[in-house]
Amino acid sequence: MPRVPFGDWINSAVDWLTNHMAWLFDLCKTVFQGTYDGIDTVLQAPQPLLLAGIFAVIAFWLRGTSAGVLAFLGFAFIDSLGLWENAMVTLSLVLVATIIALVISVPVGIWAARSSRVSGVVRPVLDFMQTLPAMIYLIPAILFFGTGAPAGIVATLIFALAPGVRMTELGIRQVDKELVEAAEAFGTTPRNTLLRVQLPLALPTVMAGVNQVIMLGLSMAAIAGMVGTGGLGGDVNEAIGQLDVGLGSEAGIAIVILAIYLDRMTSALGTQVSPLGRRAAARLRAAQGLKIWSYRPRPAVAVIGVVVLALVAGGMGVFGGGATTATADDANNVGQGKRISIGYIPWDEGVASTFLWKEILEQRGYKVDAKQLDAGALYTSLARGDIDFETDSWLPVTHEQYWKKYGNQLDDLGSWYGPTSLELSVPSYMKGIDSLEDLKGKADLFGGKITGIESSAGEMALLKSKVLKEYGLDKEYKVVDSSTPAMLAELKRAYAKKKPVVVTLWSPHWAYNDFDLKKLKDPKGAWGKGDGVHTLSRKGFAKDNPVVGTWLKDFRLEEKQLTSLEAEINKAGKGKQQEAVRVWLAKNPGLVDKLAPVQQTAATPAEAKRPVNVAWFPWDEDVAVTYLWKNVLERRGYKLNLKQMDVGPVYTGLAGGDLDLNFDAWLPYAQKNYWDKSKAHLKDLGTWYQPTSLEVAVPSYVKDVKSLEDLKGKAKTFGGRIIGIEPGTGEMTLLKDKVLPGYGLDKEYKVVDGSTPAMLAELKRAYAKKKPVAVVLWSPHWAYSEYQLTKLKDDKKLFGEGNTIRTISSSAFPKRYPQLTEWIKNFTMSEKELGSLEAEIKKRGHGHEKDAVAAWLEEHPDMVERMTPQ
Amino acid sequence: MSSRLEAEHLYKVFGRRQNEAVERLRQGADREELRADGTTAAVIDASFTVEPGQIFVVMGLSGSGKSTLLRMLNGLLEPTAGHVRFDGQDLTELGAADLRAVRSRKISMVFQHFALFPHRSVRENAAYGLEVQGVPRAEREKRADEALALCGLAGWEKSWPDELSGGMQQRVGLARALATDADLLLMDESFSALDPLIRRDMQDQLLELQKTLKKTIVFITHDLNEAMRLGDSIAVMRDGRIVQIGSAEDILMRPADDYVASFTQDVDRSRVLTAGAVMDTAVRGDEADCGCETATPGTPFVELCALSARLTHPVAVLDEQRELVGVVPRQRVLDFLADGASDAVPCDAPRDGQVIAHA
Repeated sequence: MPRVPFGDWINSAVDWLTNHMAWLFDLCKTVFQGTYDGIDTVLQAPQPLLLAGIFAVIAFWLRGTSAGVLAFLGFAFIDSLGLWENAMVTLSLVLVATIIALVISVPVGIWAARSSRVSGVVRPVLDFMQTLPAMIYLIPAILFFGTGAPAGIVATLIFALAPGVRMTELGIRQVDKELVEAAEAFGTTPRNTLLRVQLPLALPTVMAGVNQVIMLGLSMAAIAGMVGTGGLGGDVNEAIGQLDVGLGSEAGIAIVILAIYLDRMTSALGTQVSPLGRRAAARLRAAQGLKIWSYRPRPAVAVIGVVVLALVAGGMGVFGGGATTATADDANNVGQGKRISIGYIPWDEGVASTFLWKEILEQRGYKVDAKQLDAGALYTSLARGDIDFETDSWLPVTHEQYWKKYGNQLDDLGSWYGPTSLELSVPSYMKGIDSLEDLKGKADLFGGKITGIESSAGEMALLKSKVLKEYGLDKEYKVVDSSTPAMLAELKRAYAKKKPVVVTLWSPHWAYNDFDLKKLKDPKGAWGKGDGVHTLSRKGFAKDNPVVGTWLKDFRLEEKQLTSLEAEINKAGKGKQQEAVRVWLAKNPGLVDKLAPVQQTAATPAEAKRPVNVAWFPWDEDVAVTYLWKNVLERRGYKLNLKQMDVGPVYTGLAGGDLDLNFDAWLPYAQKNYWDKSKAHLKDLGTWYQPTSLEVAVPSYVKDVKSLEDLKGKAKTFGGRIIGIEPGTGEMTLLKDKVLPGYGLDKEYKVVDGSTPAMLAELKRAYAKKKPVAVVLWSPHWAYSEYQLTKLKDDKKLFGEGNTIRTISSSAFPKRYPQLTEWIKNFTMSEKELGSLEAEIKKRGHGHEKDAVAAWLEEHPDMVERMTPQ
Repeated sequence: MSSRLEAEHLYKVFGRRQNEAVERLRQGADREELRADGTTAAVIDASFTVEPGQIFVVMGLSGSGKSTLLRMLNGLLEPTAGHVRFDGQDLTELGAADLRAVRSRKISMVFQHFALFPHRSVRENAAYGLEVQGVPRAEREKRADEALALCGLAGWEKSWPDELSGGMQQRVGLARALATDADLLLMDESFSALDPLIRRDMQDQLLELQKTLKKTIVFITHDLNEAMRLGDSIAVMRDGRIVQIGSAEDILMRPADDYVASFTQDVDRSRVLTAGAVMDTAVRGDEADCGCETATPGTPFVELCALSARLTHPVAVLDEQRELVGVVPRQRVLDFLADGASDAVPCDAPRDGQVIAHA
């Protein structure tokens, strides 16, 4: 059977469309966006309760007193949930989509009703549009329209179009043929036949179609939240992503209230506009008699009510809406109101870093727009340039697929946090299954099924193509494509019943927080090394915005910082992310200036006049970093004297003030002795390179267990289990292959393969019950700020040292070289960068370090600006 | 006032290659042959003339093509071949807009299932044709009310169609058709959906109205009794062809073929026939000179029998001017009662020596 390259055709068609029909899409986009902005502005302008009042008056007019009261209560409830703004966004979205859908579908329906041929063509198209999974056209919608309202509107539109066309066609075809013939027999023109006979008689059916269009639009609007339309869909999406049933229900209820309101109003409107409906209603009313609950004002009264409320609302909007946004003072107003758009996936670290940058950039005078998106949508819009940057790319592994596809259209601004890991996880009650190898032959137990996430995820591809094969599990297990929320729901369900389940997870993930999970070990390292969390920008963003580009390139968060920020955001709750960031920033004074330094001087600073004495050790990384700084600083007018020395003398020299700098301080462990001896006369200018520390941790209420050795003989306490993370991660491999055997724990303990979220969940569960638990963790991790945990000491250092590489200086240095200090403090290098630089130096050989650095800098043109932003 | 309606060799074929089918029909192919090819011949070679002020009834069973024929008369269906002429215009030659103008001003239609617009009041329904003509509201409402009054619906103007009984609804349909002052009234089985008593009322009312309005009416029915009652001239259709055109008497007394004859078999002749059909027009001129009861050409056969029974001599038939137009001897009455078609055969040995003239 030859492979039909259908997908390729579609791809090239989409490419062609993006290239050649851009003007059309841009036109549509402008129209959609304009309509949307208009409606949204109108809906957002008034005080929520006033607008609720207007809605209530409309309900009062269309359906009577009780409907009016209920409408008001419903909308007031939405307001009280704090979802008003988002509800109005969704409402605008639905209204725009409905209006456009009707503008398209009613004429098409009429046309289809009058021509069987058209009907024959339209019907399969409608079927296609309605049944094609929404996600499939959401992505092209982004390609064509970018993220935000237009893409959401288009997706909603396509989905909601069908009932409009169908019901219009049906309604018109249902009109008694004799009536149409009668109209014709009296010489009515086709147009008038349509307007005077067919449409009025079809109106109830057409209105039912309108009603359906709105309902489908509303349901689609929730899905469209994935492409960054925001609104309640965004809330739902976020809630699903975080398995936050509370927020999900709130957003859900708000959608339901909107839906019921729109449904009742449109059906009442259907009765009102159709002559037959009006008559039926009048007859019913006459039969019932006048009751207060069904009393309806005359249209004039209703219009007056709406107008009065609208005027009040408008007046308040005009006079009450003062400027409330904080403006950056002149010195810090780098942005000058320039717009920057950040996209984020609703993962904890993404939310935290995004809102952190939103706040920082706003303080720097930028206008920042943060959009929540689905991973695929995020990359597409980034590649399109709709979004300037995002901070949550897991590279090189998890998002490899995206990177491969869009990498050449994106700029990698470097990793700001790492490492992360991917894993399969099982609940920790799954005894005896600790590593991927343990899954073998247990297919029956798990129903032969691994619950996956979105098949588009890099992790899934890796799992299917590599991990399972490597462990020979690919015959036995089927990876079920699903979605993260579905996977989590499945996990939750199985977990509640204590049923066996194996899920695809990654770390960090909150699921480890909520469930007691173990990450399956990956002794073969099939999952590869952990990712770094990278900041990616659209191509040329750093060039267009050199200052922000530099800030982002220098961006790095410590475990403590990230976890405390996440904790703050979680505490503040949904919708208050930025307030949380402000609170957090207040607790971290100076961080804004550190992350986004404002350049006071240009050209050669005064401090550069005095040569800087830099001491270095003949270790690969120090050679590399020292020569790198030498090259870069010389470009900035500094002069560096390099002095190669041994460790002891360097500390002494620095303490005595003979030396100014050393870039290779392995702290806090390796050079602890030296540091401790002279730390009073030294300054720590921060870490620029940070390998991770890996460890097994137990809650601190588990007394007597302070080190790995203490675990010995305590298998009973811990149920013989160490809750692992994603099997195959370096840490898991290390733990299973080296650490446990090294401490003689491998017979006693089983490392439960799972995922970071599962591990965290297990930890959370055990922690809440004060049960003993041992989990695989690493630093930095927010779990340490959330829980009182003991990192088990690794006396044999089997996990390796947990150092960071720092720059230290003499105590006078920061004062003498404020600019340089700033640069150095912000300096970081990724593993890849350092590795390639070292390789370059090694290749060129001893004595050619300068050339090597120069060559390397050619390949890393952004490095100079990144290290020494001006 | 009213104008003559002429249909000339009308063909209506549905399906593929219509013109070819017409050609084949002209050459004598029959309906079944065409059906095998997937074409349906609904009307085949229909020609007739309706004189102004006449009620022309087209009668036939369902599927005989009578409704199709009717719709070709006002251009709702375009004839595949042939011509329709009305008021000096060849309707088949007209463009869509002109045709609509003719339909709105000169031809109106009454439907089997009334076809009242449910979203319009009785008055708005009656005024519909005028609305299409573009008559100003005030005038069209006045004229609609007049038409409704004419049809016996005064006082119901503000009601809605679904509040009326079937008969009343069809009166609205009739009023709607009459309100436009069209000369030609096409009635498509207009009374078939009504129950018998009401149907009779409506027939009476139509005849009553026709006395004053003198419209040209083409009336479609499948009910021979109705055809006989209403029709000045009746066309009997079978399988798309008109098999006979003639007066009620012609149809009844001189059926063109067995089909028509079998059709007329069950007709209650005594109800359908009138003195005019039965009478002997060879008159001497003095038959009405006695003071005995006389009949008119419209006197139903039943009454004629009664008269004949009371009189010893043939019944004299006088027209409205009380001029003698014919006589009905008793023997003739008996002949018609017997089988209606045959004349009396003279007896070989007449006992009273009276000679019976041949009709």
